[in-house]
Amino acid sequence: MNKILLLILLMLMFYIDKKRGFKLFLSICLNFIILMIMFYFIAIGINPIVVSLIGCFIISYIILYFVNERNVKTESSMKSIIIVLVILAVIIFGMTIFSRIAGFGYESFEEINMFSYDVNIDFTNIAIAIILIGLIGATVDSSIAISSALFEVYENNKKLSKKELFNSGINIGKDILCTTANTLLFAFLGEFMTLLIWFESLHYSLGEIINAKTFCAEMIRILFSGMGCVLVIPITAYITVQTIFKLKKNPYLMHKEL
Amino acid sequence: MNKKVLFLIILLSISAIVFVYNDDFLYSKTIMKITNIETIETDVSSNPLGLEEEHYTKEISGIITNGTHKGEKLTLDYEETFSSVVTDKYRVGDKVFVVSNEIDDLKRDFYLVILASVFVLFMFLVGQYRGLLAILSVIFNSLVFYFGLILYQNHMNLTLICIVESIIFMFSSLFIANGINKKSMVAILSTFVSMTVLFILTFVLIKCIDYSGINFNEISFITVPYADVILPGLFIGALGAVMDVAITIASSIGELIEKDSKISAKALNKSGKEIGKDIMSTMINVLFFTYLCSGLPVFVLAIRNGFSIFNYISTNFSLELTRFLVGSIGIVMTIPISIFIAIKILKKGSEISE
Repeated sequence: MNKILLLILLMLMFYIDKKRGFKLFLSICLNFIILMIMFYFIAIGINPIVVSLIGCFIISYIILYFVNERNVKTESSMKSIIIVLVILAVIIFGMTIFSRIAGFGYESFEEINMFSYDVNIDFTNIAIAIILIGLIGATVDSSIAISSALFEVYENNKKLSKKELFNSGINIGKDILCTTANTLLFAFLGEFMTLLIWFESLHYSLGEIINAKTFCAEMIRILFSGMGCVLVIPITAYITVQTIFKLKKNPYLMHKEL
Repeated sequence: MNKKVLFLIILLSISAIVFVYNDDFLYSKTIMKITNIETIETDVSSNPLGLEEEHYTKEISGIITNGTHKGEKLTLDYEETFSSVVTDKYRVGDKVFVVSNEIDDLKRDFYLVILASVFVLFMFLVGQYRGLLAILSVIFNSLVFYFGLILYQNHMNLTLICIVESIIFMFSSLFIANGINKKSMVAILSTFVSMTVLFILTFVLIKCIDYSGINFNEISFITVPYADVILPGLFIGALGAVMDVAITIASSIGELIEKDSKISAKALNKSGKEIGKDIMSTMINVLFFTYLCSGLPVFVLAIRNGFSIFNYISTNFSLELTRFLVGSIGIVMTIPISIFIAIKILKKGSEISE
């Protein structure tokens, strides 16, 4: 079934644009391979936080430079993503350690009872890695939206001051907040419909649901993905404005591919 | 004005956090606040692969904070492991649930409320009222979704419920995101058409080849027949992304018509496709990482139990891949559909108003 779906997706992508479709397909394959390599490195015992941070940089690099080409826009997106990742990594680290969402909740025991639990690898770090990897897609998405829109605004009105340009970046950000929040919500709801049905059919009380490890782990994941998107908006706007004004001094750099 | 709202949000968050920290009386389960932890024994066991794992038997004592035994001291044994696959590492100061003289689980609501408050604060600082509206739409949609699940418990068809819910979601999200105007109507119509096509496509595919190649062992938490939940899950998962694409295309084409009302349909089509290309790649990547990273913990367990990596990948990422593929097809399909609908409706509208 997946093969047929993949074929349909490929046909549609080529219909939209042959060159970009091919690049996108290649980048998805590449991302899949990188993700599996990351998973493998984590599984053989290399520190999951280090693996996921480095992996996230490589993944954003691929999405930005391979699919969207390397230029001043993607350059400022990349910088903002790195800043957001570093800031969030610290918060995620604290949150995961305190809320103890590592490992599996009671609801998953059936799924994992064929395995031995004596695996000698700290699952706290793995929980941090999942949150970091999960938020990278959404963060890259809103970052590139802001930086390319800001360059567009600048092209159309070169007299704007730093502050005005920054404010229009935030305004564009407001437009994408609501749709991105819903995209994330529905992706998670689709995936965790079975968990919610489980809670409902086993008559969990509200108190049991909001303290269950399985539920909290998912909520914390979705909240951090959302925070990545939100946090990247002002940071990208700031960095892009700085870049634009730096380039204003030597305008010939503006359209040069870096 | 903004400062007042900000102050109100901070005040509400702090009071919520303080309340949740002290809400032990609301729970019927006994809650204990840990005051002392002592390791009384350390053991090493190993799995069939020879990986050595440390087990610690801990003596945890604390004070009961709710119920009829409030204030009494309690001492329990708890076995922790280094990996914390199914156990937790407790610390002094933690509040835990105690069921029949055993530690059951950590009280996590406090942390959840802290993180949610920080999120709301971020949303307001960046998005102001639009940010708060976004949160409102998320809460509303979750409630509608939950209500649907209750109906499902009363033996209604889940696929039907999800279709009806999706239509509610389209209106609530797009109106809240963009206001009640023509662009939102275009986006709703495009989402509706795209989701219908996507639904028929998946439905026919499932009927014809009957989930071949998908491994259902990996669906966790299953208490109902899997055929009941798989199609609605795919459908709801794709909805958000499809709406996102539809509204982006509708507003940009609306913008172009506003700037130049004489712009030709051909030119609009071309710019629409340009915008579509730009959002296609990043949107598909959002779905990719959101879906695929959740397989990590089981993957680690399997590899550490001696499963071969290639066997594991080929059998265990199939469902995540299906979700990703259906969502991506939705995204790419919505681009031409919403361009077509946007041009038809918005262009016509601007001609009449001239």
